[in-house]
Amino acid sequence: MLATPYVSYDYNKVYEPSEDSFLLLDALEADLSWLNNRFNDAVPLTIEIGSGSGIVSTFLMQNGIPNANGLYLATDLNPWALDATLDTCSKNGCKNSHFDVLQTDLTSSIRENEVDLLVFNPPYVPAETVPELPHSNHAVRDDEWLFLALDGGDDGMVVTQRLLNGLDRILSCNGVAYILFCARNKPETVASKMKFSGWKSELVIHRKAGWEVLSVYKFYRN
Amino acid sequence: MKFLTTNFLKCSVKGCDNSNLNFPLRYVRENCQLEQDESIEFNPEFLLRIIDRVDWQAVVSVASDLGNTELPPNKPEFEENLTDEDMVILRDLHTLLIQTNIVEGQMQCKNCEHIYYIKNSIPNLLLPPHLA
Repeated sequence: MLATPYVSYDYNKVYEPSEDSFLLLDALEADLSWLNNRFNDAVPLTIEIGSGSGIVSTFLMQNGIPNANGLYLATDLNPWALDATLDTCSKNGCKNSHFDVLQTDLTSSIRENEVDLLVFNPPYVPAETVPELPHSNHAVRDDEWLFLALDGGDDGMVVTQRLLNGLDRILSCNGVAYILFCARNKPETVASKMKFSGWKSELVIHRKAGWEVLSVYKFYRN
Repeated sequence: MKFLTTNFLKCSVKGCDNSNLNFPLRYVRENCQLEQDESIEFNPEFLLRIIDRVDWQAVVSVASDLGNTELPPNKPEFEENLTDEDMVILRDLHTLLIQTNIVEGQMQCKNCEHIYYIKNSIPNLLLPPHLA
C-alpha cells in the first residue's frame, strides 16, 4: 500500500483531508498499472481540480501516477488552498519540478483537449445554493472559503455537472477523469447518462463512510 | 509559474473560446519578473518529449513577449543520436521551459484584452462576476 502524504494546515480555511480524499487516493492506487499502461511513453498532463490541502496532487506526484514523466497542475478557487497545496508538496519532500498551482474555476483557463488525467473531489454536499466567491482573500469569516469546498447545490451535483458537460472539450483523446460522488449525487444515474452520451463510465471503488456511501467513477472515451 | 505552464493557459472568458486569439496569452514584459531555478536538473530525454508535446508557435510567442527572440520559428527536430549541437539547443530549451519562472507578472487575452495577474508565482485566472 502506498503511503498517505503528511498534511497540516489551518482547516478553518482549507478542507481537511477526510474519508473522501482517502477514497480518491485508494481509487488512484487501485488503477495505478491501468494508468501506467495507458500513458506509457507520453508526457501526460494531470490536473487536479479543487486541490484543497494538496494531498491528492502530492500523492500522484510522489507515486508517479500516471507515469514518472508527468506534468502536473492543481487548481482551486480558494487562494489558501493553493498555499496549502504547495505546503503539502514541500512538507512531503515532493521533488516534482513540473508542477504549478493556478487560481481558476474548474478548467476554464486550460487549453482545450490537453488534459490526460483529471482528478476531482468536488463540492458534493446537497445544498440550496452553490456559495458565491468571497470578495477578497481575507474573507469576512475564514470559513467562507471552506463552504466552497462543500456545498454543491441541487443534489450536490451543480459543480460536478458543469464539469461533466464540458468534459469533451477538456480531456485529450486518451484522457480519463476520476470523480468522487456521494450516494445523494445519484452516481449510477450520472454514469448511465454519461454512457448514453458515448463515454465509458466505470465504478472504480466505493465505501461506506459513516452514514454516507462514497464512490469514485472514471470517465473516458470509448 | 513555469514558462512551460504558459503553453497550457488560455483566457477564462467563455466567449473567447470561439476565437483563436485566446491562446497563448500575451505576457506584458515590463511587468513580468522572472527567476531561474537552477536546481532543476537537465534531462534531455524528458525534454525531447516535452518539445514533442508543446505548441511551438506559442512557445515562440511567449518567449518573444518576455524578450527572447532567438528561438527558431519552426519546432526543432532531432535525430535518434543527439549531436553536441542538439545538446546545446536542448540545454537552452531546458533553461527556458523548465527553469524559468514568472514570479510576478501580467498576462492579457489578445481577444478580449482582459488582464490577469501572477503574484508570488501563482497566476490568478478567476474572472470578475460580470465576465464569469
